[in-house]
Amino acid sequence: MAVPAFKYVQKDCTKANFTLFTSICKGCGLCMEKCPVKCLEWSNELGVYGTPTVIPKDQDSCTGCGTCALVCPDCAITIERKKLK
Amino acid sequence: MALVPNMPQVWRQETKPHKFCPGCGHGLVLKTLGECIDELGIQDRVIFGCDIGCSLLSYDFFNVDTVQTHHGRTTPVLTGIKRARPDRICIAYMGDGGGYAIGSQHLVNAASRNEKITVLLANNCNYGMTGGQMAPTTLPGMKTETSPYGRDVEQTGNPTQGPEMVAAITPENAYVARGTIANLRQLKRMIKKALETQINGVGFSFVEALSACPTNWRTNAKDTWHFVEKEMTQYFKVGEKKVPPEKEEQ
Ligand SMILES: Cc1ncc(C[n+]2csc(CCOP(=O)(O)OP(=O)(O)O)c2C)c(N)n1
Ligand code: SF4
Repeated sequence: MAVPAFKYVQKDCTKANFTLFTSICKGCGLCMEKCPVKCLEWSNELGVYGTPTVIPKDQDSCTGCGTCALVCPDCAITIERKKLK
Repeated sequence: MALVPNMPQVWRQETKPHKFCPGCGHGLVLKTLGECIDELGIQDRVIFGCDIGCSLLSYDFFNVDTVQTHHGRTTPVLTGIKRARPDRICIAYMGDGGGYAIGSQHLVNAASRNEKITVLLANNCNYGMTGGQMAPTTLPGMKTETSPYGRDVEQTGNPTQGPEMVAAITPENAYVARGTIANLRQLKRMIKKALETQINGVGFSFVEALSACPTNWRTNAKDTWHFVEKEMTQYFKVGEKKVPPEKEEQ
């Protein structure tokens, strides 16, 4: 079987690149609860089941810790930390 | 190149999103298992068996040989495969209904025979797939479809302590632990040790993972975490229950 292209949205935050794959996010919200700085909010982009997905509120609040990616049961979040300048 | 999600390499990308409900703990347990398989580099040797219950939704989850069996029978099926092909790494994956109720005799006997397989069990305090009935692991007072006034321990007993039971009946070279999806790094260390116990041919290995079933618990994300972290741990103590004695350094 061919591997499908996964749709995604990205947010370029100060400390990390936040990628959310809308075609596998089911909108469960586990990540929002676990984010230590509570920086995630519901976004207008819909996920695979037609639910809202998540996105960092603003560019500065995400610390790039990767907790949201760790607790995602679907691997829908990728965090790429930026190198400190 | 198109951007791809950061899934364990052993996950089958073409079957994702997987079939579990939003927020289901099965996804987290299988993600952790996938990372362990990747890190141990055993993908081509693994045979994965899934039970009936929501664990069967993983029949196309991994890029490894997979078998799906009758309810609770995953343990003996994988035992048979292991005996025929001792070079394979056999992982039996099941829910608490499969392991502690309908298939408890299989778990008990495989454990006391010290079969060289790994059993991974997701404990979500209910029978998820059939609509949330009471399981042996349902917490006292917890409401389910078949305990609408809350589980009455006078009538139905206390929650089954799986790892404690397995630890009591296995010989000393087995590995037995209880992890939780609320501490995935610890769960990963446990699953890895369990797999290493099998790889080294030492003995039976068993890991129970405290899991979540938001659909039947009827919980939102906040309450799901609360239930896993605060309620379940009152009855189910997380930690290693039995560790094979370290081989002496040569
Ligand atoms: C021998 C047998 N008894 C009963 C059933 C019906 N049944 C199917 S799934 C299920 C519940 C599984 O619950 P559990 O093992 O806890 O897994 P979960 O769905 O919660 O992950 C039951 C009772 C069956 N398929 N076979
Ligand atoms: S019913 Fe429960 S255990 Fe089954 S897939 Fe849904 S959340 Fe997971």
